[in-house]
Amino acid sequence: MGLEVDIIFKIAGVGIVVAFLHTVLDQVGKKEYAQWVTLFGFIYILFQVASIVDDLFQKIKSVFLFQ
Amino acid sequence: MIKLIGAIIIIVATTWTGFEASRNFSERPKQLRALRAALQSLEAEIMYSHTPLHEAARRLAAQLSKPLDTFFDAFARKLTDTETTVKEAWETSLREVWKSTALKQGEYEIMKQFGETLGRHDRFSQQKHIMLTLSHLEREEADAIDRQAKYEKMVKSLGFLSGLLLIILLF
Repeated sequence: MGLEVDIIFKIAGVGIVVAFLHTVLDQVGKKEYAQWVTLFGFIYILFQVASIVDDLFQKIKSVFLFQ
Repeated sequence: MIKLIGAIIIIVATTWTGFEASRNFSERPKQLRALRAALQSLEAEIMYSHTPLHEAARRLAAQLSKPLDTFFDAFARKLTDTETTVKEAWETSLREVWKSTALKQGEYEIMKQFGETLGRHDRFSQQKHIMLTLSHLEREEADAIDRQAKYEKMVKSLGFLSGLLLIILLF
């Protein structure tokens, strides 16, 4: 369970920092960079979440399908 | 423990990079102002005290501060020590010094064009050329101040935030 909480904090941290970067870049009129930064942050977190969901499905499979 | 030390080192490095980059933005208007003051003194030397060019350059080198004094010093030395034209001496010393300044390509072209006119006309057309160069530099300075206001803070916070992001990703 410890790992799950860790990863939640990690995602929250990435979210906060990326949001700050987005605002800073947006304020000086570098909209396109801001969007790229946000997109990359999003993709990174998506991969993290995908791996966790994969774990979940593996666990479900092992519980219900009795391999 | 080791992780924490690594994180601190990363954040110090990226923040330092940000500050270093922002220093470039704040140095440029200062140096442009110094450059304009230098050209104004050069005009005074030419118009009112009729100083020869190498002597005027030496005096300017004594008056000015860090990156620009080396330029005028090199220029004066080239004029006295070597067999060369004013234009060539001006251009080579400009090229030597330019790397150590915060100034950009636009100012380089302006100064190069000014060097081509230097010492080839009588005093009054020389004064006109100096005026022209001054007005060009003024425009560049306005641009530099604009960029400073816009990007100086951004670069600083960008350095810090990217360090923070790197730490979170690596943790």
